Amino acid sequence: MKRSVIKAMALGLGLTGLGGAALAQDFPEKPVEYIIPFGPGGESDISARLQQPFFKDKFGQDLVISYKEGGGGAVGWSQLNTMADDGYTIMGVNLPHIVIQPAQKDVGYTTDGLVPVYWFHYTPDAIVVRADSDFQTLQDLIDYAKENPGKLTLSGSGKGTANHLAQVNFDQLAEITTTYVPFKGTGAAVQALLGNQVMAEWGYTTVGSQQGDQVRLLAVAMEERHPLFPDVPTFKELGFDLVGGAYRGIAVPDGVSEETRQAWSEMIGEINADPDFQKKMLDGGFALIDVPYGDMQGWIDERRDQYLSAAKEAGILN
Amino acid sequence: MTGFEHFLEALTPLNLAFALLGVTAGTVIGSIPGLTATMAVAVLVPLTFTLAPASALILLGAIYTGAIYGGAYSAILLNTPGTPSAIATTFDGYPMARRGDGDLAVTIACLASVCGGLVGALFLLTLAPPLSRVALAFGPVEYFWLAIFGLSLIAALSEGSLVKGLAGGAFGLLLSTIGVAEVSADIRLTFGSQVMIGGIQVVAALIGLYCIPVLIDLVATPDRHLKVESTSRGFRLGEAWGSLLRNKFNLLRSSVVGTLVGILPGAGGSVAGLVAYSEARRTARPDQAYGKGEPGGILATESANNATVGGGFIPTLVLGIPGTPPDAVILGALLVQGVRTGPQLFEAQGSIVYTFVWGLFLATLLMLPTGLLIGRYAYKTIVTIPKAILVPAVAFMTVIGTYAIRNNGSDVVIMIVLGAIGWALARFGFAVSPIVLGLILGPIAEQGFVQAWTIGTAVGDLPGMFFGRPISLAIIAFTLLSLLWPLVKSRIARWREGPGIGMVLAPTSERGPVDTGSLVVGLLLAGIGVLALVDAAGYSDPDSAVFPQAVAIVLILASLTAVVRALLGLRNRAAPHPGSTIRRVALLLVMLAAALALPWIGFLAAMIGAFMALILVAMHDAWTLRRALLFPLAGLFIVIAFTALFRYALYVPLPEGRLF
Repeated sequence: MKRSVIKAMALGLGLTGLGGAALAQDFPEKPVEYIIPFGPGGESDISARLQQPFFKDKFGQDLVISYKEGGGGAVGWSQLNTMADDGYTIMGVNLPHIVIQPAQKDVGYTTDGLVPVYWFHYTPDAIVVRADSDFQTLQDLIDYAKENPGKLTLSGSGKGTANHLAQVNFDQLAEITTTYVPFKGTGAAVQALLGNQVMAEWGYTTVGSQQGDQVRLLAVAMEERHPLFPDVPTFKELGFDLVGGAYRGIAVPDGVSEETRQAWSEMIGEINADPDFQKKMLDGGFALIDVPYGDMQGWIDERRDQYLSAAKEAGILN
Repeated sequence: MTGFEHFLEALTPLNLAFALLGVTAGTVIGSIPGLTATMAVAVLVPLTFTLAPASALILLGAIYTGAIYGGAYSAILLNTPGTPSAIATTFDGYPMARRGDGDLAVTIACLASVCGGLVGALFLLTLAPPLSRVALAFGPVEYFWLAIFGLSLIAALSEGSLVKGLAGGAFGLLLSTIGVAEVSADIRLTFGSQVMIGGIQVVAALIGLYCIPVLIDLVATPDRHLKVESTSRGFRLGEAWGSLLRNKFNLLRSSVVGTLVGILPGAGGSVAGLVAYSEARRTARPDQAYGKGEPGGILATESANNATVGGGFIPTLVLGIPGTPPDAVILGALLVQGVRTGPQLFEAQGSIVYTFVWGLFLATLLMLPTGLLIGRYAYKTIVTIPKAILVPAVAFMTVIGTYAIRNNGSDVVIMIVLGAIGWALARFGFAVSPIVLGLILGPIAEQGFVQAWTIGTAVGDLPGMFFGRPISLAIIAFTLLSLLWPLVKSRIARWREGPGIGMVLAPTSERGPVDTGSLVVGLLLAGIGVLALVDAAGYSDPDSAVFPQAVAIVLILASLTAVVRALLGLRNRAAPHPGSTIRRVALLLVMLAAALALPWIGFLAAMIGAFMALILVAMHDAWTLRRALLFPLAGLFIVIAFTALFRYALYVPLPEGRLF
């Protein structure tokens, strides 16, 4: 109840344009520290690097990227709310990570304790096979899995991750049983795919953009087809209600004022609306979304239940 | 030769300047424990966005190759690998430095690094597409056996007691499982504490386990850190060349091993160095005493780890799969620039690729003069600096370096505690290197095992998965060979009744009174094994439990065997540790206090305080007015300069706390 009042107030403030305009003039007035809770070189880092020049262009200040790696992001997120809350420290946040980790053990933060201000893109789940694979279509793969329960091996990045939960969900939707083989990161999962160690991979559209004609995507978990792969159907087209992937957003410490949260939401939204930025992201295989601060809570709640039930199904949550 | 026309493109003054700058900066960064090649490359990524792709790549590649070489300095002079790639450099490098041959060791490391780097770059230039298939031929089970092969080095590194080495190795393997599991879905061995969620960072552990014991023993006595000759002997290039020529086969083999291991994503320079060292040691001639200051050990490791640079670029550029962590950063930078890697890169963007590879050649060659010069300077600094400055300065570098790895204060505390544990264990005959091996190879072994088991179960052929693949069988054969060869060799030697070799392998233990120290340590380690079993019983994902359980059982068995041996009074010749206990304890307490205080009072304040306190702890000479003025001033300068460098040039968010 209280939350929705604040939300309405924030929305009102944003709508009048008064608060937003005033803030846009004097914020930011110094460089911003943008912390990635992972090591350099991953999807979170690459998308932050793509945002960097656009932020400088539009708002005149540097976005200084640093890394606080550890515990699959948990080390950074558990420290976020103790950091300076003047609005000049922001951190990348990821779904499903921030739902699954606190559900497993006390990791020093809770899903609701974090303050995401914008979700700006996701890497849509996709089933990837080698270019020389016998599986030409998703149906080929399903047929094989039906005839050989458990024998179809799919690599993916980690457990309790977007890849793993997609496998669990899809197995239920298609009524098949497959074997998921977890690897450390997308690179290792792709290596196993290309090296014929597994028959397919639960990956992302980004794998398709990076590996080019070494691989073939069978289906992508998007509402509509990805512009980079106009010939690859969505799961929805093929009759499976599967849309999602790893979502990435930006969070601020919980002490940051409502006005500054709103200002951040607007700034990230402005970068997301830039056609050049959009093109770079799409070329990299990413898919853009826009979940501003005002819509945050409902959007996360919607996903939380799906993630938790899939994780229970996978046997990684008690 | 392939793409030779691009050689001239690489030769532009700008590219040459980048190669020189990169190698120099990389060497300095790599020599500081905690500043890794990955970090050096990541810091420079934004700079490259404004450069042409080929120039940017040359700069990044030069930094990378320099950093891998720079790691040798601290390995040789301080027994502390500057980067994980230089772990095996400590095995013979530090003993050489101790006996006064540090200058020779540094020069040998430089020559070997250049050779290895050139071999790696040559393979990258000529055979990249076919060699990238090596990366694909290696499946989970091959990684598993590779890790086991690396672990077999424990037998050689246990310094007398195999049982204690095994216990140490198992302890290291357990340490590697702490925190959020990389591949399975549990949070392990944190016992409810959030400090341990991120696990034990390998570089932080290396700094703690190798460097802190050196510091502890340094403060205890007034003796010089390294033996020095009174006359300067220059670079000792002639002697270094001699070593190279005597070890030419070793050098070549290690460079090839380094390239091949570099091609394997996830293995990296540390594994390459260890594998090459293991092979060099196995094929040692009778006159070579590996582990006691044998130049062949440095040659093997340093050529292998620099060869991984060229090797690692092979899967990165051909397959779009980063071969090593710095490659992942470089790949990310390329993606941001819009360069798409993959098999088509060599045709579509051949000009960039070949210019880069030739640039890498140039950078490697430039490493010869710059490396020799910087190495000479590093050696002189470490040798001539008074102990009362050396100790606090090195202690300060361990703290700032550890903090910078993940920008995390807990890592500093973990580093110091591990250092104290490592010192105590070594005192009772539990060598540190098996623990490090376990820590590094643990994740590779665990992930490979769980993946191979999952796939093997799915296809219904577990024995075929583990024992039916040709590469696996070859690795298993090499493992058995390294384990059994010393025994065979000693049999042959005894059969010939030759003295010398047989003596080396004769048991170094003798009956004596009950060895209380080993008894207590053995019981403690067994207790840790039991704790791990209890923890593993609570995991929800069986994949998370199988490895820690197996390791815990090995730990308990090995530790209890060590306990029995201690009760029987079968005791190793433990090295004597003369000197002041008070100073040792004071060093640890000062460092720990500073680590705990830095989030509250600020990094600079904590470090200045600690530096001044450590000058007192490490001061064995008489105080003169000059020293009383000079030492604190030098300390202030070092702390302020490096803090500023880290804060403003490397973007490390060092805490400012209440003070500064």
